[in-house]
Amino acid sequence: MSATNTHSIDISAMQRSQQALRIEDEKVCLSVKDLHLYYGDKEALKGIDMIIPEKKVTAFIGPSGCGKSTLLRCFNRMNDLVDSCRITGEINLHDTNIYAKGTDVAELRRRVGMVFQKPNPFPKSIYENVAYGLRIQGINKKRVIDETVEWALRSAALWDEVKDRLHESALGMSGGQQQRLVIARTVAVKPEVLLLDEPASALDPISTLKIEELIHQLKEEFTIAIVTHNMQQAARVSDYTAFMYMGNMVEFGDTNGLFTNPTKQQTEDYITGRYG
Amino acid sequence: MSNELKLKNQTVSQWVKSGDPWVWLNAGAVAICVIMVIGLLALIAVRGLGHFWPADINQGTYSLPGNPTYTLVAERVESAEVPAAQLREAGINVEDHHDMMMRSLMKTGNRDVYGSDFRWIIDEYFTDVTKPEMLFAAERHEWGNLYGYLKAVKENGQVVAQTSDLTPTDSALATWAAFEKSIERATTIYDDIHEVEKDEIGSINYKLERLRLEQRRLELNNALTPEKMADIDAQRAEQDALYQALQQRLIDLYAEINRDTFVVQVMDGSEHELQVAKIVRAYRPNAMGIAEKIGFYGSKVVEFLTAEPREANTEGGVFPAIFGTVMMVLLMTVLVTPFGVVAAVYLREYASQGFVTRIIRIAVNNLAGVPSIVYGVFGLGFFVYFLGSGIDQALFPEALPSPTFGTGGLMWASITLALLTVPVVIVATEEGLSRIPRNVREGSLALGATKAETLWRVVLPMASPAIMTGVILAVARAAGEVAPLMLVGVVKLAPSLPLDGNYPFIHLDQKFMHLGFHIYDVGFQSPNVEAARPLVYATALLLVIVIALLNLAAVTIRNHLREKYKSLEM
Repeated sequence: MSATNTHSIDISAMQRSQQALRIEDEKVCLSVKDLHLYYGDKEALKGIDMIIPEKKVTAFIGPSGCGKSTLLRCFNRMNDLVDSCRITGEINLHDTNIYAKGTDVAELRRRVGMVFQKPNPFPKSIYENVAYGLRIQGINKKRVIDETVEWALRSAALWDEVKDRLHESALGMSGGQQQRLVIARTVAVKPEVLLLDEPASALDPISTLKIEELIHQLKEEFTIAIVTHNMQQAARVSDYTAFMYMGNMVEFGDTNGLFTNPTKQQTEDYITGRYG
Repeated sequence: MSNELKLKNQTVSQWVKSGDPWVWLNAGAVAICVIMVIGLLALIAVRGLGHFWPADINQGTYSLPGNPTYTLVAERVESAEVPAAQLREAGINVEDHHDMMMRSLMKTGNRDVYGSDFRWIIDEYFTDVTKPEMLFAAERHEWGNLYGYLKAVKENGQVVAQTSDLTPTDSALATWAAFEKSIERATTIYDDIHEVEKDEIGSINYKLERLRLEQRRLELNNALTPEKMADIDAQRAEQDALYQALQQRLIDLYAEINRDTFVVQVMDGSEHELQVAKIVRAYRPNAMGIAEKIGFYGSKVVEFLTAEPREANTEGGVFPAIFGTVMMVLLMTVLVTPFGVVAAVYLREYASQGFVTRIIRIAVNNLAGVPSIVYGVFGLGFFVYFLGSGIDQALFPEALPSPTFGTGGLMWASITLALLTVPVVIVATEEGLSRIPRNVREGSLALGATKAETLWRVVLPMASPAIMTGVILAVARAAGEVAPLMLVGVVKLAPSLPLDGNYPFIHLDQKFMHLGFHIYDVGFQSPNVEAARPLVYATALLLVIVIALLNLAAVTIRNHLREKYKSLEM
């Protein structure tokens, strides 16, 4: 894909086609079956069933504490880091259960990348940040790394801004640039799925807009799942939307349908701003 | 009246409430600390640095009542006022009208002539004091300083210059010039001799010793074939030939250096003929201008920093001690840092945070409070006697019964101090690890890095300023430690530096000198305590400076690391 035309995508283009999307027609990337998650005795996810379609953007919305971030972190087993966390049920990446015994978690995380709420670049140069994932995989050929770094930075629409200071510290960048750097870093290892956990919540409106444009572009190559607090953002960037409440998946469907014609009362209350 | 009192009470209680007393208390405590530290540094600086200044030599008549009168030629070392009654008790017939009298310690030098370097005098009876220009002081390789008038300089017993004057006449100055020239020549030869003896013959001895050990090792292994024996003998013969050549050269050099003598008249009027070779430097302080004195001072300080000690450490320099201290601290740092970091990483990152971990953590923290001599005893008992003798049995059987590692040495001293300081590094590193933001770790894990990779590539670099803080504290503690070192490898005088040109270059088994121990040795174990006292202060000042420099280096590294990672403190 060509990254140079990133900025030519305007917002109207993102209010995209009204053609109806049907979840049944999509290829399945991730499927969740009866997923329960407990923090100690507290049940945080109460039996989730859903699929994440391939090469589409799926948004998770819902009030704070509804479990949407927790669910997102299940997709790359980030919850393993929490000692008291216990999970039942299964999540299949294509046809493999990622919670099966003997799963190589590092390998899984390579295939399912994640971008966090706060930009978290490493205290290294811009170049080394993007090359990090490659070096972890044992790739040391300078030419390969050079090419991948450029490609990843172009994919994250960052190349033109940083190409002259690749070897300066990533910590000197603005928050929006840092977040796009983190996306580039994640993209560089060529995952199948990108998990975005409120990627724009710590950013200003312009940076947010850039991230949204980026998501729109990235879905050509990656399956994207995004958690957001911002319903307009969900409406703008996603193809499918899941509304969660109190650890339950209340409603899941194509974004247009969910926002214009929600089937559940709870969903309607939330998206019309009656609570949450 | 009562109204006024009440008002005053109110203001006092208000003053207390306002918190001002606490500010005063805190500021006062800080002020006292600062005054004490500055006072300490000033004391050792003044006492130590004054030692190198060329003091004037006084000549006068000393006539203590009831004692014979004599001429005294001496440097004034210190003066103090003492009650006359005390002097009377000591058996000195002081006139009745005195209450307090000045008493001074004078350095007369010439220990070979008078038996001691110093004597106490009462200033009142020291009269007709002059500072003759032709009086000279000479530092010698043995017997301490020499004070007197130069009478003649001889070569092979033939007089080349002489004078009968005690004032700066032409003949006196010409004799002095001849003397200075002769000293310069002797010094050059002395350096040559030193180089031959220490470096060249030392190196040959080292090789011969290695050959002896090689032969012994082969014998022990029953592998001493005639060919190998012949090979060793050939090498030995080669070294012996080299040695013979050097020996001949030394004989020549000694003949050369002993050529010149000089005649000196000391304060009792007697004349002595001494060898120029025994003189380190000679100078006439009474004739020196301020610039000359500063120059002299500089050269003395340089000598102190770069030369080896003379005369049971009471003269000369302390270079081997500086070298030993720095070397030991660096080695300790190299040992303690990885060990402490690895332990902290396990405790913080891998061990489950339960009861046992807590107990271990408490134990580690308490280890920092164990008196250092206990570590010394442990180092001697475990490292030296147990591990060391084990290593000797296994690896150096050829050298037995003389121990290689089975006796105190640089390595054991460093390891003992590393053990002493490891708690500090562990605590500081743990602190640093706990402050690395979770989201950075998650960022690395989310890219497919394992926990170990994340630690190694992201977390530890970010924790490095904290690790350096631990290292700084460790260095500060280790550099100043003396007690344990006395048990595990520090000696009064080490024949060679632990780092030299002989394979394997770093001699971890060697004993070494240390500034801290040097202070103790010079100040309290030396045969000539009065002469050595200024050196104690000078060495103490130097030790403080060395520790400060080591710390400064570590702080610089830490600040550099902090700068690199500072924006991450979010």
